[in-house]
Amino acid sequence: MKGVVRSFLRYLVRRKSLSILQLLGIAFGVAAVVGMTLASRSALQGLGNAVDFLRGGATHTLERPAGPMEERVLASLMADPAVKHFAPVIDRKVRLEGWEQVRFLGVDPFLDRDVRSITARIGSSGKDNVREEAFSSFLFDPRAVLVDENLARNMRLSPGSTLQTSQGPFRVVHVFPNPSGEPLVIIDIGHAQELFRMKGYIDRADLVVTDEEAFRGRWATGFRLESGRQHALTLSALLGAFKLNLQALSLFALFVGVFLIYNTAMFAVVSRRRDAGVLLSIGASRGQIAAAFLIEVLILGAAGGVLGGVLGFLLSGFLVKIVGNTISTLYFFLRPEALPWSFWNLAGGVLLGTAASIIGSMPSLIELRRIQPVLVLRGRTASRGASKRARAIAVSGAFCLAAAAGLFSLSFLHVYVGFAGAFAFLLGSSLFAGFIIILCTPAAKYIFSRVMGLSGKIAVGNIRENLGRTSVAVAAFMIALSMSIGLGSMIDSFRSSLLWWMDSQLRGDLYISTKGDVNVPEELYEELKGIRGIGGIDVFRSVPMTFRGRPASITSIDASVLQRYDRFGWFEGGGENWEAVKRGSVVISESFSRRFNVKKGDVVTIEGADGPVGLHVTGIYYDYASEHGVVMMDRSTYLGLFRDRTINSLGIFIDESGADHARIIEEVKQRARSYNLPFATREEFHKRILHIFDSTFAVTRSMRILAVIVAFFGMAGALMTLFVERRKEFGIFRALGFTTGDVARMTVAESLGMGLISFFMSTVVGTVFAVILIKVINLQSFNWTIFYHFSAGPYAVTALTALAASLAAAAYPVWSVLRKYPVMQIREE
Amino acid sequence: MGPVMIRTYDLWKQYEDEGHDGMALRGINLEIKKGQIVTLFGKSGSGKTTLLNLIAGLDVPTKGRVEIDGRDIEALGEAGRTLLRRNKLGFVFQFFNLLPTLTALENIMLSLELAGMNDKRPALEALEHVGLAGKEGRFPHELSGGEQQRVAIARALVKKPPVILADEPTGNLDSATGTQILDLLVKRCRDNEATLIMVSHALNTCEYADRVLRMIDGRIVEERSCEDLAR
Repeated sequence: MKGVVRSFLRYLVRRKSLSILQLLGIAFGVAAVVGMTLASRSALQGLGNAVDFLRGGATHTLERPAGPMEERVLASLMADPAVKHFAPVIDRKVRLEGWEQVRFLGVDPFLDRDVRSITARIGSSGKDNVREEAFSSFLFDPRAVLVDENLARNMRLSPGSTLQTSQGPFRVVHVFPNPSGEPLVIIDIGHAQELFRMKGYIDRADLVVTDEEAFRGRWATGFRLESGRQHALTLSALLGAFKLNLQALSLFALFVGVFLIYNTAMFAVVSRRRDAGVLLSIGASRGQIAAAFLIEVLILGAAGGVLGGVLGFLLSGFLVKIVGNTISTLYFFLRPEALPWSFWNLAGGVLLGTAASIIGSMPSLIELRRIQPVLVLRGRTASRGASKRARAIAVSGAFCLAAAAGLFSLSFLHVYVGFAGAFAFLLGSSLFAGFIIILCTPAAKYIFSRVMGLSGKIAVGNIRENLGRTSVAVAAFMIALSMSIGLGSMIDSFRSSLLWWMDSQLRGDLYISTKGDVNVPEELYEELKGIRGIGGIDVFRSVPMTFRGRPASITSIDASVLQRYDRFGWFEGGGENWEAVKRGSVVISESFSRRFNVKKGDVVTIEGADGPVGLHVTGIYYDYASEHGVVMMDRSTYLGLFRDRTINSLGIFIDESGADHARIIEEVKQRARSYNLPFATREEFHKRILHIFDSTFAVTRSMRILAVIVAFFGMAGALMTLFVERRKEFGIFRALGFTTGDVARMTVAESLGMGLISFFMSTVVGTVFAVILIKVINLQSFNWTIFYHFSAGPYAVTALTALAASLAAAAYPVWSVLRKYPVMQIREE
Repeated sequence: MGPVMIRTYDLWKQYEDEGHDGMALRGINLEIKKGQIVTLFGKSGSGKTTLLNLIAGLDVPTKGRVEIDGRDIEALGEAGRTLLRRNKLGFVFQFFNLLPTLTALENIMLSLELAGMNDKRPALEALEHVGLAGKEGRFPHELSGGEQQRVAIARALVKKPPVILADEPTGNLDSATGTQILDLLVKRCRDNEATLIMVSHALNTCEYADRVLRMIDGRIVEERSCEDLAR
């Protein structure tokens, strides 16, 4: 057995360059999964840290279903026997000068120390008199704030520094430690009430509750009570679809990696076939041969896994930033730190590498066990039946595609079923590679012989004659290119759907503040109403809610303004819906409808300030603002339900009939400036949304690149194998008078030929894959419809990628040709 | 001569994808005694290698059976046939078929290891017997054709199997080297009292044989002498 194993393993050393290519292919496949998993885990851990830090020792939070809560509620809380401690909080955002938005927390320094330790430590690093001074400043100076160490470091702040914000300057009196990573500014709650014009109101109360059941019974109506666990679950649920898509993306990269391993294993079998025949004839058993092969594959898988584990760890440092930015842009602030190095990165990498190797090498292992020594010792008989086999494999590919279609029809059960269908589709398509090569050969021969002469013609013949090797490389490359086209087309379609949505729903001439920015004072709204020439002002308010235990949101708008100026894309119903909305009905987003299976005509029950209220659904509209679903109502309905007069933003619509457009816009801007409010024209607002959209797909782009890198190693490996396996043929070429240049050209032509066929296949497979992503995966993950939009960009980018990867993959084999061809002879051994 | 070592009964072999009717063997009945040296002549495609493969249990007959040392090899099953090749058969090929990743010594050791022997000494002796002492660390590509075939012979003989099957052992060598190889192979077989079946095209092989067989279109004809064969 030792000798058999040794004879196989020595190939790894003997064909170093090939082994390295194969190793790198596996490593990159594993790195994609390890990197993405670590980035996801970092994000979750970061989320946990942030939630824990801000929650402190609080067990629950109490707030109104929407908008601020009256301060007088605190008196009732104080009297409640189940409440051990309570701390009022104002939780807002301010924009720092030249920086991003930060959380601005108003707390009561006396009550808050029972829940959090931040205010208890004010001035703790200084002497007693400094400490007292800092504390009294915090208490009495309306501009005194505490800042966290991360923010202080980034903005070079220390006690005594000035913090410039959209709400004016603040004086830093203390810097406190913050393990969550989220930039945080703390102010006394009384000053916060003045600052945010919230006299008599707070945003929520953080509580330490001893008897939850009794407390819940007393505070069931008109309030939202959430435990720490529920809060973490809600935030985690917000990330659900996002996380799922990250995992799916990394799995797609591993899928290409498994192909590569299959590729590797197939090459190994091809080169070991004759040895296996010899070994069988001298008395080795099939089991021994299979075991030796498996050991070889496992060593390669384990080594690739170790390298992949390390690369994945390095990659996670890069991905965690992108993931953090995306989550911060789309959901809530999160700045996760990359997880520290752990032995488990290696263990996980090895596990993935070996598992993928076993799966990827299984068909080859079966083939090796079935080897007929008589046939293999006769010579290269494998290609004789290759055409027949390619056809048989294509038939099994057709079955795979049928299975994929079946899975798609069942994808309503769970998004995982959709993913399984997508994998089955890619697998099924890849099984057509050999058959397509046979079909393409005549045309490719014609083209290549025209362009590259005899070398090109022979190269195409080589691709055709070595189907066992070339078809797997083409399949792996094609899958990577298809992913590139599919993801690219999906993103482009999504982008054009978003453009359509913005053009139909965000038609205001100017927007003052936007969702997530600081709120708009009602006085400004009243002022603006008086400006002549303004046709309408949409008063926008969005609040999160929990519907049937899952996160969603409520949006209030001015229905008559939108009816007049916007052109909503209706999923069900039309412009007439606004009449019902004005009378108290609601419209819901498509994602809300799909997620909660709510239809037009249904009644949705929402927790209002005075208890549950049933609202009639009059229509469903297309929406890309939130995948969790939106219930949209007129502001009058909202005010009646929640008594919350907060305004998040205003949409200004200028009356076009003879109005001096530029002057009015300038006047509105002037008024907004006087309130320190940001504003954006329609174009600027759309641009900002598109920027957010583009940054959201940064992870997707990284995975596209990684998949192409993985496939590149597959191509390079295939070419190297062809070179190594056909030394005898090269000897014949030399004898026939082919120059080194001719053979180098032949190698380039082989690479280009495989690249061309892969690209040709990927245009079809990638387009279908895009449709699958749009119609099945996205719909199931995010519950919104994306309209397929053809765009040439992804095809052009992929064609260039295929060309570059093909040429790069040929580089090393060509170098080998240049070095070795001049001394090659016709030899059997 | 001793007892019968190899016996075939009405042996037929038909290949599905071969030319004409695909019939490679047509009812071969053969008895070869222990220690006998047999040469098997015939044109390309006459069925020589097919017969050798069936005797080695590497291929399955369409009809008929093969007995080695009195045991029906089909009845042995796959595992039994593997053990038969491991312990009782030695193979020498036209293209040497050494494992390219193993050194000369390791190629020979492989044969011993498979037979459950891990002692290096017999392998080194075998190398010495074939005139390659000092070249044990060389890989096949570092040896000449003749040297590679010597290693192959050492590999086949090192475990002292009662049967050696040689498929055109000199077919890929020049005539001088071929003669040396034949001398060596036959001598080693005689020393070990091994039965040798040697498929060949070269007429000089005949001189080494106790029996000369000729294959014509899947049938076997016994020749009385080398002169008859030449005619």
